[in-house]
Amino acid sequence: MNGWIILPMLLPAAAGIMLLVSSFLEHLRMTKRIKENTPVIVDEGEKKNLHYLVGIVLAITAVLVVWTAWSGERQLVLFYLMKEIPVYFHVDAVGRLFVTIVSIVWVAAGFYSFEYMKHEGEEKRFFGFYLLIYSVLIAQDFSGNLVTMYLFYELLTLVSMPLVLHNGSREAIMAGLKYLFYSMCGAYMGLFGIFFLYRYCSTLTFLPGGSLNPYLAEGNRGILLTAVFVMLIGFGAKAGMFPLHAWLPAAHPVAPSPASAVLSGVIVKAGVLAILRSVYYVVGVDFLRGTWVQTAWMTLTLLTVFMGSLLAYREPVMKKRLAYSTVSQVSYILFGLSLMTPDAMTGALLHTVFHAFIKCCLFLTAGVFLVQCRKRRADELVGIGKQMPVLLWCYTFASLALIGIPPASGFVSKWYLAKGALEAGVGIFGWFGPAVLLVSALLTAGYLLPITMKGFFPGEEAVVSEEKKEPPKGMLIPILVLAVLAVVLGIMPGGLLRYAGQIASACM
Amino acid sequence: MNAMIMMIVVLLPMLSGVLIPLLPFKNRRQMLIYIEAMVILNSVLVFGMLMNRPEEAFTLFRFTGNLSVSFRLDGLGSVFAGMVSALWPLATLYAFEYMKHEGHEKYFFMFYTITFGVTLGIALSEDILTMYFFFEMLSLVTLPLIMHTLSREAILASRTYFYYMIGGAAFAFIGMIFILTYGTTLDFVPGGVLDLAKIGDKTDVILLVYVLCFCGFSVKTAMWPFSSWLPKAGVAPTPVTALLHAVAVVKTGAFTVMRVTYYSFGTDILRGTWAQYTVMILVIITIVYGCSRALKETHFKRRLAWSTVSNLSYILFGVVIMTPMGLKGALGHMLFHAVMKICSFFCAGAIMYKAGKHYIYELDGLGRRMPKVFIIFTISGMALMGVPGLCGFISKWNLAAAAVESQNLLAYVGVAALLISALLTAIYMLTISVRAFFPGKDFDYSTLRGIEDPNWMMMLSLIVFAAAMFVFGLHSGPVFTMLDEVVAVLK
Repeated sequence: MNGWIILPMLLPAAAGIMLLVSSFLEHLRMTKRIKENTPVIVDEGEKKNLHYLVGIVLAITAVLVVWTAWSGERQLVLFYLMKEIPVYFHVDAVGRLFVTIVSIVWVAAGFYSFEYMKHEGEEKRFFGFYLLIYSVLIAQDFSGNLVTMYLFYELLTLVSMPLVLHNGSREAIMAGLKYLFYSMCGAYMGLFGIFFLYRYCSTLTFLPGGSLNPYLAEGNRGILLTAVFVMLIGFGAKAGMFPLHAWLPAAHPVAPSPASAVLSGVIVKAGVLAILRSVYYVVGVDFLRGTWVQTAWMTLTLLTVFMGSLLAYREPVMKKRLAYSTVSQVSYILFGLSLMTPDAMTGALLHTVFHAFIKCCLFLTAGVFLVQCRKRRADELVGIGKQMPVLLWCYTFASLALIGIPPASGFVSKWYLAKGALEAGVGIFGWFGPAVLLVSALLTAGYLLPITMKGFFPGEEAVVSEEKKEPPKGMLIPILVLAVLAVVLGIMPGGLLRYAGQIASACM
Repeated sequence: MNAMIMMIVVLLPMLSGVLIPLLPFKNRRQMLIYIEAMVILNSVLVFGMLMNRPEEAFTLFRFTGNLSVSFRLDGLGSVFAGMVSALWPLATLYAFEYMKHEGHEKYFFMFYTITFGVTLGIALSEDILTMYFFFEMLSLVTLPLIMHTLSREAILASRTYFYYMIGGAAFAFIGMIFILTYGTTLDFVPGGVLDLAKIGDKTDVILLVYVLCFCGFSVKTAMWPFSSWLPKAGVAPTPVTALLHAVAVVKTGAFTVMRVTYYSFGTDILRGTWAQYTVMILVIITIVYGCSRALKETHFKRRLAWSTVSNLSYILFGVVIMTPMGLKGALGHMLFHAVMKICSFFCAGAIMYKAGKHYIYELDGLGRRMPKVFIIFTISGMALMGVPGLCGFISKWNLAAAAVESQNLLAYVGVAALLISALLTAIYMLTISVRAFFPGKDFDYSTLRGIEDPNWMMMLSLIVFAAAMFVFGLHSGPVFTMLDEVVAVLK
């Protein structure tokens, strides 16, 4: 039954490649047609079929993935990439958690895009890559050793770049290239670390607690720590950690909104997963605890948390503001991981889950503002609550969750992060960390809530039409679902909390 | 008798090459069939020889005393001979289509085919003298190929080429003389032939000579500061740039360096000395320098040529780690780079041939017109930058693993250089693909009227190479098992 692992990866990959090929052939025909000066006809029926196809593939895959993930341990050696290095899949607790988040977000944003992508064009290509990325993400989450994960980590960059390039404008192409080069730079820095871990760990297979070989490592601590640090910075690129964060605010906003939502919601988590796997499952925290690597890592993450929030606060363009917010929020997670205590790791895992839902929800909302109201900037959104009350309520709840106001979800994760920091015994960072998180939360309130306030209370002089124009159901329902998840998970975090706690205690 | 075949595979292409202008062919087609048949026949003979390896040496002729031109086939030579024999027929097929409009075909194919024999001569050399002999000969027979178009630029390029090669050979000659004086024999023996008793306290002199000899042979590998001839030689027709200046000639340089390092001087005397550090620094500089120049270059073929400069130094980096694992990594990259770089050069050639575009800024939107070529080009670019699943990742992995294993601090810097170079490779290769496939919103495709993918003779080799990149990338076990056997003699 282990072979089942491969099925949920193959299905979307096959469908995606099929769509891409067909889209490419269409283009070839079109360039020929332009030559013959005949007009291009867009077939509405064909579009509907496309939506059915993508919807069905998404639904089946999501069900398959969740079933595969939650029905017991599975592992599979696909083939040997090199001698001693197999492409190896293994469903474990972390992979299970990540793959579930990915699936929920992917389905929600997917259904949202049926409606949204009408405004963008090139739907076939978009959905082709959308499905392809899904399959790569599943594969990355199910990876059982570092090389397999690295393989899909790099593929992820390559297949997600076309989403950034989507609208083909000069800005998009520059942003796409920036994304590509930052990610590649990060990936190669990660690879640098992997080369050393290959030598100094007994295996690259993920084992809770790591598998560093103490005899080999003795006497080579300096170089090994440097390698791990380089690796952290490298994989941190994908998670938007300072100093390799600059691509994120450029690339995320320029993509179509559902793509920004998944980029910000789950694709950045690929970086988190890579760091989590290499630190907790290959190197092992015991080796890093108390070293300069930990100190430097904590400093970088706190810097990123603060800087991201500050930049978001100063940013007028809505999607860019959300992108800066991602920079800041993902570093909450990384800060939690850098503390290396069970509570902090629990907080980090919880924040991974919550941030995925919240940020996806916020980006989808921003997408509605963009295509329905034609409003890019936050200060243009005056009185929006009169026209779209439901949407703005969703936005507000998601914002409250992100800020961390109880009982919404962000509160729980931040509580554990702060608790972990205080317990970690990391000196000054024990209280300085929570303080930075608090300041950042204030800033988060500062950049998210004005939209709610201006939206519901436009003020007396503003001229606002009272006409209701909620977005179409296809767009509203995914947003609603994500917003409800963001709140409900905060009220009833019990199961999730226990699950994350188990993962954390297994690694320590 | 079995050993005779070594002479045959070296002489047959030379002879059939010389006959091309002399034989009375009725038409072009007949000539092409003759050439391809001869090249394939020779490749088949080489592979037959590799399957059934002759143990004894074969002496072609003697100069005097124990100085002779003689052949012997060992593991290292087999790898090199196998590589060129696999590539030559495909490259020749590609050249048929490409050279259609270039003129002077007879002479072109004459020298092209002779080069095959000379390269095999280097692979099969039993001693450093034979290798030197063929090394010089290779410079001479490839000279007319660079001059081919007889334009002013081509003549200047060939002059530069010639001066560099003569200079390089002179340095290599010094090395040979020292091996003759201080070694027990001129033959290649795994582990080296230097006689420690004869050297006495002159180790530093020997090390200096090694550095000189290394630089001399590395001129062919376009190591910095001797790299500028290679991009200039890009003026030659594409089949020459692709096969000779990405594989046969330049890798001859790498191969000779392997020979002198592991089989003449021996790594025991070199490892950990200033000589190793000197050459390693040069190599690391070249890795980064080549990539940076590639990034700056706007001429398509010259950009690929600079990329070759950098990649050849990956091979040299493996060599100068001076462990069997390093040699294994070097050989791996020698094989895989051959596939990747020929493929990207052939794509460039196909674009020049069909679209007449030579500069990168002219390639906008061509991805729609020549989709097959550009898809394959993108794959080769990804392979060069080392995306896992393609062969470049495997060879890079082995090089880096060897470097980390050697516990040499400078080698760690080399690993960093490999990765910096990989990033730069991503930039200079993928910007081309992005440009071709995403020319911008209002690009006018009508300016590219009538451009399309080339015919099967060109496509065949492209497809074979693209497939090979995947096969080696996903299933490299057998190749490295073979290489393990090759380097096993060094332990």
